Amino acid sequence: MWGVIKSVLAAFFGVQKERQRQHDFEHGKPGVFILVGLLMGVVFVVMIAALAIYLAG
Amino acid sequence: MPVGVTDLSAEIFSLHMTIFWICVVIGLVVFGVMFYSLFKFRRSQGAKSAHFHENTTVEVIWTAVPLLILVGMAVPATATLQKMYDASDAELDVMITGQQWRWRYEYLGEDVAFNSNMSTPRAQIAGEEERGEHYLLEVDEPLVLPINRKVRFLLTADDVIHSWWVPDFAVKQDTIPGFINENWVRINEPGIYRGQCAELCGMDHGFMPIVVHAMEEDDFDDWLAERKEAAEAEAMGVDREWEMAELMERGEQVYGSICASCHQADGGGSPPAFPALAGNQELIDDVDWHTDVVLNGVSGTAMPAFRSNLNPVELAAVVTYSRNAWGNDTGDAVQPAEIVELLE
Repeated sequence: MWGVIKSVLAAFFGVQKERQRQHDFEHGKPGVFILVGLLMGVVFVVMIAALAIYLAG
Repeated sequence: MPVGVTDLSAEIFSLHMTIFWICVVIGLVVFGVMFYSLFKFRRSQGAKSAHFHENTTVEVIWTAVPLLILVGMAVPATATLQKMYDASDAELDVMITGQQWRWRYEYLGEDVAFNSNMSTPRAQIAGEEERGEHYLLEVDEPLVLPINRKVRFLLTADDVIHSWWVPDFAVKQDTIPGFINENWVRINEPGIYRGQCAELCGMDHGFMPIVVHAMEEDDFDDWLAERKEAAEAEAMGVDREWEMAELMERGEQVYGSICASCHQADGGGSPPAFPALAGNQELIDDVDWHTDVVLNGVSGTAMPAFRSNLNPVELAAVVTYSRNAWGNDTGDAVQPAEIVELLE
């Protein structure tokens, strides 16, 4: 699971090691990556919104 | 882009220059490296191309560096934007209304309001006269503002979208029918500042300039008191019977600033969009119809309603004037009191 999160974070940033990419394509299920990606997208948006609300005060 | 005459305009200017220099440095570095590599490692000097696929470290660097630069630019930009949007605690409220094709200024709570029309003569535009110093950037009545006071603008429009733009204040705000936008200014130096409509709004878009006369605070207070008195005197004048000559004089002035841009100074209009008033039989025959058109406009045409843009004296005078000028000679004198009744 931690490996999936790390891969999604790398995708957010836009840089991934070739070895890791091949590993993901051979071992993981696509559905898991998509689901984790969507969830982390929501988490990211909520974090940004919370930060903005906190700063606006 | 001028530095301008407000703290905020100076801040926007320095923000603009900071980001400009960041872009210059990035451009020099990127193109410097590129041209150096092109020159140094050219084939005639025996350079061999390297074949490799990925370099995670380099990729991380060229992703992280632009990210940091962008965030670094966004932080001061956001701080400035927050100041621009904070129109609270203003000492004076001015309502600015865009109209085809003039600006109307209303000092809220002070009973002072007027229209500001371009005063460049048409002959200069047509090339028949020498152009003046402030060609297309001069008005009959400038907006007058005090220095060192926070002035809030409430901006809207009567017909189409206009945009009130004065570069020295770093203010460019759309005025939209049915919406009220806010902006504000605190001017540091007295002077005359000029601007233009910045949103294409029709035929005379280029002929509705903005002129702001920024005065010392005492001078502004005197000016406002004087305008208030004049407005009160005119409001009193509504009840009395006006002489024909008075109405004609006032009417000619109002006609020149409001009506002449479409119906022309000689009443000839520019048909078919703007009908002639001189010798217009419908107008000559029916004073009630004529008054109604001026007060309420004609829907589906370019003729706007003037009932809330002109006061009863001005309305009565301009109707009287156009019924008697240019050989219309109806002899009708429309009294301000009659207009007041119609407005109720």
